[in-house]
Amino acid sequence: MSRPAQSSFSRLEDIVGGAHVAASAAEIAAREVCGMQPSVVVSPADAAQIADILRFAAAEKLAVIPTGGCSKLGIGSPPARYDVALDLSRLNRVLAYDPNDLTLGVEPGVRMGDLLRTLDDKKQFLPLEVPFADRATIGGIVAANSSSPLRHAYGAIRDFCLGMEFVTSDGAPAKSGGRVVKNVTGYDLHKLLIGSLGTLAVITRVNFRTFPMPQAQGSFAGSFPSAESAFDFCRAVSHSVLTPQMVEVANPGTAALIFSGEFAARLEPRTWTVIVSAAGQRAVVDRHERELGKMAGAADAEDFLPLSDDESQSVLAKIREFPGLMLERDSSALIFRINALPSQMAPLAGKLRAVALHHELDFVTLVRAAGIVQAAFLPPRENWATPEKLAAAVADVFRVCAQPELRLSAVLEWCPAEIKTSPDVVWGPPRPDFELMRRVKRSFDPQNVLAPGRFAGGI
Amino acid sequence: MRPPIIRELEALLGPGAVLSAPEDLMLYEYDGSVELGSPRCIVFPASTQDVAGIVRLANRFETPIVGRGAGTGLSGGAIARSGGIVIAFSRMNRILEVDAANLRAVVQPGVVNLDLSRAVEHLGLYFAPDPSSQKSCTIGGNVSENSGGPHTLAYGVTTNHVTGLELVLTDGEIVRIGGRSIETSGYDLDGLLVGSEGTLALVTEITVRLMRKPEAVKTLLAVYNALDDTTESVVDITVRAITPAACEMLDGFTLRAVEDYVHAGFPKDCAAVLLIEVEGLTEGVEAQAAEITEVCRAHRAREVREARNDQERALLWRGRKEAFGAMGRISPMYYVQDGVIPRTRLPETLRRIEEISKKYDLQIGNIFHAGDGNLHPLILFDERDRAQFARVVQAGGEIMRHCVEVGGALTGEHGIGMEKNELMPLIFTPEDLALMARVRDSFNPAGRLNPGKVLPMGKACGEIRVPPTPASAAISS
Repeated sequence: MSRPAQSSFSRLEDIVGGAHVAASAAEIAAREVCGMQPSVVVSPADAAQIADILRFAAAEKLAVIPTGGCSKLGIGSPPARYDVALDLSRLNRVLAYDPNDLTLGVEPGVRMGDLLRTLDDKKQFLPLEVPFADRATIGGIVAANSSSPLRHAYGAIRDFCLGMEFVTSDGAPAKSGGRVVKNVTGYDLHKLLIGSLGTLAVITRVNFRTFPMPQAQGSFAGSFPSAESAFDFCRAVSHSVLTPQMVEVANPGTAALIFSGEFAARLEPRTWTVIVSAAGQRAVVDRHERELGKMAGAADAEDFLPLSDDESQSVLAKIREFPGLMLERDSSALIFRINALPSQMAPLAGKLRAVALHHELDFVTLVRAAGIVQAAFLPPRENWATPEKLAAAVADVFRVCAQPELRLSAVLEWCPAEIKTSPDVVWGPPRPDFELMRRVKRSFDPQNVLAPGRFAGGI
Repeated sequence: MRPPIIRELEALLGPGAVLSAPEDLMLYEYDGSVELGSPRCIVFPASTQDVAGIVRLANRFETPIVGRGAGTGLSGGAIARSGGIVIAFSRMNRILEVDAANLRAVVQPGVVNLDLSRAVEHLGLYFAPDPSSQKSCTIGGNVSENSGGPHTLAYGVTTNHVTGLELVLTDGEIVRIGGRSIETSGYDLDGLLVGSEGTLALVTEITVRLMRKPEAVKTLLAVYNALDDTTESVVDITVRAITPAACEMLDGFTLRAVEDYVHAGFPKDCAAVLLIEVEGLTEGVEAQAAEITEVCRAHRAREVREARNDQERALLWRGRKEAFGAMGRISPMYYVQDGVIPRTRLPETLRRIEEISKKYDLQIGNIFHAGDGNLHPLILFDERDRAQFARVVQAGGEIMRHCVEVGGALTGEHGIGMEKNELMPLIFTPEDLALMARVRDSFNPAGRLNPGKVLPMGKACGEIRVPPTPASAAISS
């Protein structure tokens, strides 16, 4: 790792002011990425300062990684270089909120929790029930394309992000999209930034459409004797006229976690569990309750119960915080995000469980029925895991995903840094479209200033 | 003796798959816009391999390539502005697979939008993007332009319904991006390609999401004596967090033309109507329809009518979807605008359009996807009157500038194409455009793929190496 000289520090101080350049052990450690630490943490106030910092970094050949709440810096492959952590927490304003137009423009450092409170005042929300809710910032959520269970009804960030402003590594401010809800003016470059882990540009503003709070909501949970019957139920729901807000499938390991404590006795969470929520007019929610119950029965559910408001809150929080809960249980957990089709879910779960058994790991999974599998593999006890054992399990998971009948894209989002010995460990085997991604990277960041090496294909 | 490029294309595709006679070229020099440009030839590939072969051949002859679906585009996207080869996808029109279990279909680019919905109707499914031209426009064209339609208010535009693409790149390489599942790891290349107006790659296969048909649909027609009351109703519907599936506005002038043509029962003496549709579960639809009716009445709608059956509903929608066609009965030509504004700015925007209409002495009909702030003012003109056409272009520009001033955008669903590429600096800075040009050049380095579209042709934003043909220069001057 290259170390910027003292003169670099003073140049950065010129740009942002001495109070906003930090190099204390604690500040540096908080921004560690895959075991690598920056030399300095710089906290710009605005896009102009970000541009100056990036121009300076490009000239000095320093590598920069944008950071926000620092909750998801572990995602991605290890950076090839890392000199400057660009802390965006000072860009924390809501720039425009027009509740009557249902549109919003925010800076990247705004914390999700704060934003939801602002929206709540106007009885609106963003469908982003994403992990690390207490710390996560909009910039980080967008850069990691954090997944929300509400995607079932509202889509992912790409579907309700209207546009962005950002700074490229040559220090040029740029933008794409806009602030209106329908827009095909120019290339949708902002879509590329979603999930780019800071490798393309530094986001300075994100525009969203907001959503009105539904009049009523209800959540339900059903226990099923097998993965097959749980996914049969999901299929019946998706082929019905019902319009649920979320459909989450928990295997027994996850169910035990979600329904811990006082609810556990009521819900018998020793089996596959499906959690469904519905929203809209009261009559719509009631209709969901009636018909979901019938469908669950037809799929051999052992029970199907409405959750109280408190229970719903608690269950939703645990669903949202799935990755964090897994890492709390064991910091060497392997957590994959696998994209699969509904018909592939049950067979995939079986194959992943077989991998876990073979490697003596616990298998804990939470599936977004629309197509996102969060699969965690946990060591059976402390000090059991060695990098070799974990790496062997990772290779087998990617082997399963590559099987001809599945052919699924997957990312190992969380794992100990020691096992990330190549980009393939995180991103899976190279794909032909990685070359197109490299072209995109070269267009945005030809000098490779931003998070070099952190992305798929060695980007 | 035919030129070598034509002979080689015929050898590649067979003689019936290449058109180059002047009378054939004329049929492909225009689309649904007011632009023109004459290609060197039109080719009809039958497979992805054919397309790759054409691209390699075009590279050897250093000839531009332009993809074309049904030619219904409204911004000149499918026009061979710099001549060259038009690749017409009409023979690649097969639905390759319907995966009902996973709500997906895999189609070739030449499949007509409505044909896909018809093919899956028996399964209770449909393809949500519904441009007014859906009876003829192709899904390949929808992907290029990121097309919308009335029901995109609730369900999103094309990009929200595409999960994977097969591409032929400018060097003839075939690559798949995205996939069949809802997300794919890595950069969102689908998000970049959809709406790139055929300037980055040729799309040869498309995987789309299918949607379940709703249980209940209610279609309301609210009739107004004053334009302002109509637009205020739309604002109020948005504010009250009612989310109809579609919310369309037609002004009285347009309505009279439509009624004379379609006989849908639209009142001919009103200032405007709102055509509002709510969909979903029966319980929710009833409640929403009641709420909308209340809002419209509060804003002095003189009548709120509900379609009593599917037939009435279809007739109302026919009136909306054939409104552009109806204009052809009362004017030799019309120029469709496609601006977007924040929905709260609708009332002042309609007043501004009225002023512009008076200022330039032009008749303007208004058809809006009002619910998402997407405006389609239709400026009527006679193309034989060159002075009038000059005023039309000025009036169109002024409407666009208003949209930008109130925080809107240049196009909601028709695309930039060659119609608005020189207006891009109204929205984007030189830095924004330079980045877009770098991205384009990284996919399309020689600039041969659909040249002269999307980005301004000025030298600041990436050199276009092929000069425009005289035909296109004449019409846009």
